[in-house]
Amino acid sequence: MSVFEIAKGMGVTLGHLFKKPVTVTYPEQPVDVKPRFRGRHHLLRHPDTNLEKCIGCSLCAAACPAYAIYVEAAENDPNNPTSAGERYASIYEINMLRCIFCGFCEEACPTGAIVLGHEFELADFKYQDFVYGKPDMLVGTKGSKWQRREAEKKGKDVKIGLKSGPRPELEGVDY
Amino acid sequence: MKVKVNDVELDLAPGTSAIDAVFAAGYDVPYFCSQEYMSPIGACRMCLAVVGAPRKERDGSWTMDEATGQPKIFYFPNPMATCTTAIMEGMVIDTLSDVTKKAQGGMMEMHLINHPLDCPTCDKGGACELQDRAYEYGSGHSRFIFDKRHNEKHHALSELITLDRERCIHCKRCVRYFEEVPGDEVLDFIERGGHTFIGTVEEGLPSNFSGNITDICPVGALLDTTSRFRGRNWEYDHTRSTSLDDASGSAITIDARTGRIERIKAALNTQVNKNWIDDGTRFGHEYAASSDRIKTPMLRKNGKLEPVTWEEATLFISEKLKKLSDNQLGIALRSDATLEEGVAAKSLAEYLKTGQIDHYPRYASSVISANPASFNDLATAGAIFVMADATEEVPMVDLRIKDALKGVTPPTLMAHGVPIADLRLKERMPRKTNILSVAAPYRVDLMKYAAHSMVYPTGTEVEVLKQIIDASTDAGKALKESLSAAEKAVIVLGAFVLNSAEASKLADDLAKATGAKVMKLGAMANSFGLESQDVLPAKADYSYPNMLSGSAKALIVSGLNPAQNAEVAQALLKLELLVVHDLFENETTALAHVVLPAKSGYEKEGTVVNLEGRYLNVNPAPVDGGQAVDFTGFVKELGDALNERLEGRSVRSARRLLKKSLELDLSELPLEGTIASAKAGKVAGLKTNTSGNALLVPSMVRSEYLNRNAHLFASTGGNALRLHPADAASHNLSAHDVISVSVGGFKRRLSVQPSESVPEGMMLLPALPDQPVGLVQLDLNSIKKEQVALEVA
Ligand code: SF4
Ligand code: SF4
Ligand code: SF4
Ligand code: FES
Repeated sequence: MSVFEIAKGMGVTLGHLFKKPVTVTYPEQPVDVKPRFRGRHHLLRHPDTNLEKCIGCSLCAAACPAYAIYVEAAENDPNNPTSAGERYASIYEINMLRCIFCGFCEEACPTGAIVLGHEFELADFKYQDFVYGKPDMLVGTKGSKWQRREAEKKGKDVKIGLKSGPRPELEGVDY
Repeated sequence: MKVKVNDVELDLAPGTSAIDAVFAAGYDVPYFCSQEYMSPIGACRMCLAVVGAPRKERDGSWTMDEATGQPKIFYFPNPMATCTTAIMEGMVIDTLSDVTKKAQGGMMEMHLINHPLDCPTCDKGGACELQDRAYEYGSGHSRFIFDKRHNEKHHALSELITLDRERCIHCKRCVRYFEEVPGDEVLDFIERGGHTFIGTVEEGLPSNFSGNITDICPVGALLDTTSRFRGRNWEYDHTRSTSLDDASGSAITIDARTGRIERIKAALNTQVNKNWIDDGTRFGHEYAASSDRIKTPMLRKNGKLEPVTWEEATLFISEKLKKLSDNQLGIALRSDATLEEGVAAKSLAEYLKTGQIDHYPRYASSVISANPASFNDLATAGAIFVMADATEEVPMVDLRIKDALKGVTPPTLMAHGVPIADLRLKERMPRKTNILSVAAPYRVDLMKYAAHSMVYPTGTEVEVLKQIIDASTDAGKALKESLSAAEKAVIVLGAFVLNSAEASKLADDLAKATGAKVMKLGAMANSFGLESQDVLPAKADYSYPNMLSGSAKALIVSGLNPAQNAEVAQALLKLELLVVHDLFENETTALAHVVLPAKSGYEKEGTVVNLEGRYLNVNPAPVDGGQAVDFTGFVKELGDALNERLEGRSVRSARRLLKKSLELDLSELPLEGTIASAKAGKVAGLKTNTSGNALLVPSMVRSEYLNRNAHLFASTGGNALRLHPADAASHNLSAHDVISVSVGGFKRRLSVQPSESVPEGMMLLPALPDQPVGLVQLDLNSIKKEQVALEVA
């Protein structure tokens, strides 16, 4: 091994010393995730009619390899429909402790109702709090259950440690 | 007859259809319109295959193929619908050729053109024949770029069945079903071509067997409203069991999800119910998922029932029991308790040294016939005499009688099971109404299908039977002759006859004189079994009605609600111990010292014996019943408190005992069940009312649960008081009035239904377990109108 090669190696190291560091001081600073990152699920609405996209078909639950999803359906009131189909999900729950964020649910959904977003800060204290229901996932909801609880306690806006916006698949989610 | 399907050679009976030959050979063709036990009509054209057969010369020899030296096969110019093609000697069927595949794929495409493809919202999705067949035989992509046909999506055909007109593929199964199986033509195609839709002329579906169309519809066009949107097919736990709704022992599939029963479907038992069940059985399950079920044991403390543990409850009971002397405790089971529960009750009675044990409701005479008829006897009988309201007592008897009217024997099973296309069956077959005679104290449904019917004055069964035996009237003589002349004759006896020891004796005499077999319709699912296992009082004074009127000092009742009778309720107050084992709180639990949670008939494991004497397994569906146990469970808990390992403390232990006495391993019964001979038990005489102005009649829907079965309630309008329009007018009652009235001491809530089928001077109302079939006095002065019928403008 020649001196030249040692110097070359040191050169790389020293070169990095003077570059801008890639580390972020999360959680003080928000982080960026890759475009195809799969985080917490969102339940979408049709942007034009504001009706829920989910028709309660349970196909996501069938596709889920971790048995994390539970759906119970009910018939829409024709005069005041919840979803665009004959049926809507009266109960829609995902157990975030079971979920392995594989995205199969998103792939199985015939209406594009369930999409995995970019939020990833799902830590919480109690098992019960990991079961996300419709209000926790419908578009317009920002942050995990814990983050929203914190924000409410402090009377501030929900703060999430995420810099990039939502995935492009997420119609109607803007932050 | 030799046929060749692809590469498989078969020898089949003449008359077999080509589709069955294909399935018997282990090959598959898609089909939508053929259906087991119904006529093949060739409506869907899915079962196409290339079919050919050799021809004979004038001299009877085969036309030979010069090249091969074999008989030459002449193929039909186009693929044939195999369901309507009968096999011929030497027939060749090709289901694998490209011509066949192309024809089937083309038909599949045609079927899907007008199908909405809304599988994600369809209750049939995941169990749909169209879905499966499209996957197997369809092309996978659509060339149809135009607008699809649009039609009504949720048309309520009745309170119980929802029709989606877009999804219908016009297979005609439902239309044919009604005409061919129950014989009620209530549904038909309306309009033609692409505009064809299914519809009814009258309101609703006036048939007692309408629910079966939801099973046979190959798509999601006809759906069970009770289970609409409750879950997807793959999410249900399917449990095959036996219905405890009536004495037929019909096979059912219980579909449950997250601890709740969502749907009941018919299961196949070729010997009993074939593929069919009645509407009471299918739709009458909602009560089991009712939110007011008793889920924990309760003990009365300071006058109030409080939830306790099983230990505390049974300890209390055991302390009380220890203070009793022999024959002071009464134990009563409802007649749909399983054999195992019966054995447990008997062993408990034996241990506690009491002869006061009974099952109820039961009749004054035995339900076990010396020469019993099976369902197949009934379906192939040449003469049938029904003295019952069979449709309401055991609806399956009604359906199997209609098989006999068609005169087509049950098909022989093939390698793949029941033949898919039985070519002997036709649409609109003539019915041999001549072989059926029906007698009842009011016009019953079966009379519509009988050539000879007779409405006799209530309570005159003995006279009617005497007329037949002595051939003293023309009708009686003709009936007796036809019963004797027929190769196979069956007499069906229901509650009206069995309630009178004298009448049933006469009926048995008639059977003996004519050589007819006898089918006795038990009051409930296991009447036969509990009688054959002798779950009966040691002497007549110890029968259930006597227990209630003072022969018992302490009482354990399971599934019965005696305190509905105000007088009995007073007597029950004097008891030292009243233990009630039931599903819901009621008049009797209000008086009880201990209330124990019971399992419904869908949650139990056990065995019942149907009216043929067939042992059938009841299997538990995964339902959330809290701490509910069946009677064997109660015996176990009580045994623990008494420090005693009682026999019958579990289903297994009860079966061990039964194995010895029956020489039958009840844990290894075949799906079809096993018929074993049984001897009539010593039914200690029950007193029956011989007078009254109202008649309690059997009912297909269980009246005790009707108010918890929301959909059935809506479809029947609640428990009905049926009376002649003239009587209704004179009592100042009009249709749909809801009244409360005292009937034989029971407070009943009834909706008024004037009907010409009721004889003048008689009122009919459905019986209850504690108020079984028979005459009763309805107190006309006690009628209170709760709700006056709304005038429809
Ligand atoms: S991401 Fe995967 S594991 Fe998570 S809910 Fe969806 S299908 Fe289930
Ligand atoms: S999210 Fe999609 S797949 Fe899941 S139930 Fe709703 S519509 Fe069906
Ligand atoms: S409703 Fe169903 S069973 Fe009836 S014709 Fe249409 S597809 Fe066939
Ligand atoms: S044409 Fe429908 S099954 Fe043969």
